[in-house]
Amino acid sequence: WFPTCLLSNITLLREDMMSLPWDPTERDNMANKQRGEGTSVEKKAENKKGADDFNLALDSSDDEAPEEVTFEDSKARAVESLKLALDTARREKELLKEKRRKRQEFFQEQKVCLTFFSCIINISFLYKLGVHFYAVTAMWSTNLNSGLKGSYTVSTVTDRGQSDYQRQAAEDFIQSRLYGPGSCRSSNNEMLSLQNKTRADKSAAVQFVKKDWGAFKNTINEPQTML
Amino acid sequence: MGEFKVHRVRFFDYMPSAIRSMAFNSHTERLAVARADGAVEIFNFADNYFQEKVIAGRDGRSIEAYGGPIWTISGNSEGTLLAAGCEDGTVKMFEVLEDRIQFQRNLSRQKGRIISLSWHPSGAQIAAGMMDMIRIFDSETGHATHRLLVDRGVGASKSREVVVWSVAFLNDHTIISGDSAGKVQIWDGLTGTLIRTHLVTKWDVLVLAVSQDESSVIAGTSEGTIVQFQFISSTVGQQDKLWVRTRTFKNHSHDVRALVHTDSAVISGGMDTQLVVRPLLDKVEKNTQESALRKIAFPHRNLVSCAKKAGLLLFQFPDHLELWRLGESDRNGTPGESLPVNRKPEKLIQLKTKGEDHICCSALSPCGSWLSYATVAAVRLYRLQISSNNISIQKVSKLPRELKSVHQLCFSSDSCRLFASSSFSSVVVVALNQTDCKYLHTLKHKSGSRQPIHILSPSEDGQWLATANTDCEIHVFNLRKMKLHCSVPAYSSCPTAVSIHPTTGNLVSVHADQQIFEFSLKQKEYSEWSRQLQRQGLHPLWLQRDTPVTSISFNPNNPAHIMLHDVFMFCIIDQSLPLPEAKTKFYNQMILRSLPQPQRLRESHAFKTCKNFQHLLSVNLLEDLSLVVVERPLVDIVAQLPAPVRQKKFAT
Repeated sequence: WFPTCLLSNITLLREDMMSLPWDPTERDNMANKQRGEGTSVEKKAENKKGADDFNLALDSSDDEAPEEVTFEDSKARAVESLKLALDTARREKELLKEKRRKRQEFFQEQKVCLTFFSCIINISFLYKLGVHFYAVTAMWSTNLNSGLKGSYTVSTVTDRGQSDYQRQAAEDFIQSRLYGPGSCRSSNNEMLSLQNKTRADKSAAVQFVKKDWGAFKNTINEPQTML
Repeated sequence: MGEFKVHRVRFFDYMPSAIRSMAFNSHTERLAVARADGAVEIFNFADNYFQEKVIAGRDGRSIEAYGGPIWTISGNSEGTLLAAGCEDGTVKMFEVLEDRIQFQRNLSRQKGRIISLSWHPSGAQIAAGMMDMIRIFDSETGHATHRLLVDRGVGASKSREVVVWSVAFLNDHTIISGDSAGKVQIWDGLTGTLIRTHLVTKWDVLVLAVSQDESSVIAGTSEGTIVQFQFISSTVGQQDKLWVRTRTFKNHSHDVRALVHTDSAVISGGMDTQLVVRPLLDKVEKNTQESALRKIAFPHRNLVSCAKKAGLLLFQFPDHLELWRLGESDRNGTPGESLPVNRKPEKLIQLKTKGEDHICCSALSPCGSWLSYATVAAVRLYRLQISSNNISIQKVSKLPRELKSVHQLCFSSDSCRLFASSSFSSVVVVALNQTDCKYLHTLKHKSGSRQPIHILSPSEDGQWLATANTDCEIHVFNLRKMKLHCSVPAYSSCPTAVSIHPTTGNLVSVHADQQIFEFSLKQKEYSEWSRQLQRQGLHPLWLQRDTPVTSISFNPNNPAHIMLHDVFMFCIIDQSLPLPEAKTKFYNQMILRSLPQPQRLRESHAFKTCKNFQHLLSVNLLEDLSLVVVERPLVDIVAQLPAPVRQKKFAT
């Protein structure tokens, strides 16, 4: 967004920016006058006339030399555009931060009921966002650390939300494939009872004193979450 | 022999963890088993399948490769590269360097998760099992070169994607796949075409393993069966070989998740938590010890500590400890009778670990006033005060910094010392007083072994400390002088239990190969009884037992008795009785009971075994001479496993 030719001058100009806003000096007033931005109406009118003349003059002839632009002028313009650019960048950074914060909140809410397929969509969305964020950070670090030429730091976004989601998706997948609908599972009680009835020395069906033993368990591991 | 009041304890809710994956090193003959809770166990197949080491797991152990959960990892045959199949559809390549693993690059990203991987032996290609297909990657360029489409199941399964749970890439470019539709398929990896389909189960084929010479492939299913395929010609004499389904083994009651195919055996593990070794009968001599089916269902070390003087039990779980007070019965009865309990056993304390690391070891002092446990990261010590109506537990905050990397913990019999086995086969001795503890000394031996000490056994009088490490060494230290007293002569099998007799001062050791030795600490040589036992040899039925002895205790009332147990039996060796000969009936307790008294003594032999209690996790003798037997019936474990598949049996 700001021209590359300005890049090398940023540090210098930024120092200047630090002292803004300026108290207008004599020189600035003169520059203002020349541009037609005056303090008095008369001056304005006078200048306007001058400006008109100028325009007319331009229209009439291309051989005329271009308007003289003072150093202060161009400096002010450059500073202004730089300020604008830096402001835009700062705003964008804020926006991204806000986006990230919102995203985090969104996922915290959605964490419980997120299905496998929507997970895939979000993950690709996050990837795109993540990539953008890395690029912005890299660019900023380049510019501000004037002492570090060519080297930069890239900070990793340790987004727990994303990795937790992927893990949850993977767990849900294996859980549903091995123990979910269509997996034709029995219970340990039934299996042990069948063993008792089909072996050589037959005995009665198994009935556990603890009510929840031997019952159908449709989770792979309780309480661990290893795949 | 005597009568004992027995506390039958069945309230230790020990639950082993499912076997998730295994790897075998044929040079060292060690099998590594990874459990669902992140623990890794090492079994020494050359030493009667002894569980040498256990590396404790961790809560939520997950590896971050920035591709999401990793479904599969596979190394190339040179061991230089590692490929990881991820949830996000990437196969990530890592370089295996001397001191670390370094990310190299991603192969071309796919649109589905990578469930399974297999390298071609040359390292040039990788086959990846995914959903509905198998992809073949060129490992150099990273591009996917072939796509093998896998058929879905029939009927209701047609609407669901088929998951290729496992793939194997053979040298001749044959690819073998196992999928969720219950098929084992044989593919030509060069042309990408299907050669043959075998439907082996109604459920999923979860895992495949290939033999070293690639002539045999085994497939593990959700049913708990293992199906073998062999590359043989269908008719004798003919040249054309096919993959033919040969044997089926039903080794497990639940899903098989891990397989290893060695030259002579099929090793399997899965959701039923048992490790099964099935020797292939065409590779071993029939009807020998070698050809027997081995099932390892219980740990080879003690998870129960007993405070003999206080009647307390400490149970070690991966993430917490439970302290129980035993019940009481003031009645007497006849042998075999169940006594009524007038005070029920009570859980006094449940202590959860702080942090995610699981517990490696734990100990309770004999007086019941000290409790200690260690994880990979830390050691914790607690002071207990237990009275009839009040329990208090106080953590000792400042522990000596020498207490780290602890593999085993043990308190002295007077509860004044804590012994901790530490790095480089050393033992740290710490003194305990009312409220705190102080470092005293580090005991070292000069054998040069760096293996951790897994057995610590102090003598009753506080003079000796017997130690054993996984290099099969037994060293005894003099605690009064704080230095090495002697080392027992080297024996090739790892000690599984070691204890010092309180009156004779003899050290008794039992090893993984079931051998028993008695070593005199005073004379520094084997005792006469031990020599006689070696000359005569142990009874074949004793040697054929397939679970190790994990503790030895002695009876103060009868110095000739040695009490030991394994998972299936509890035994008292009476050193005053003759040793059984090979042809003698070993399990003779029932017969002896039926004989009249004078004849009994004539027929008795030294090994008195009792099989009334199963499955035994621990046997201890309390100060009041009652026995505490901690049982964990296997059926109680099975009852709490995840669901097995529904088997349809004829007429049920």
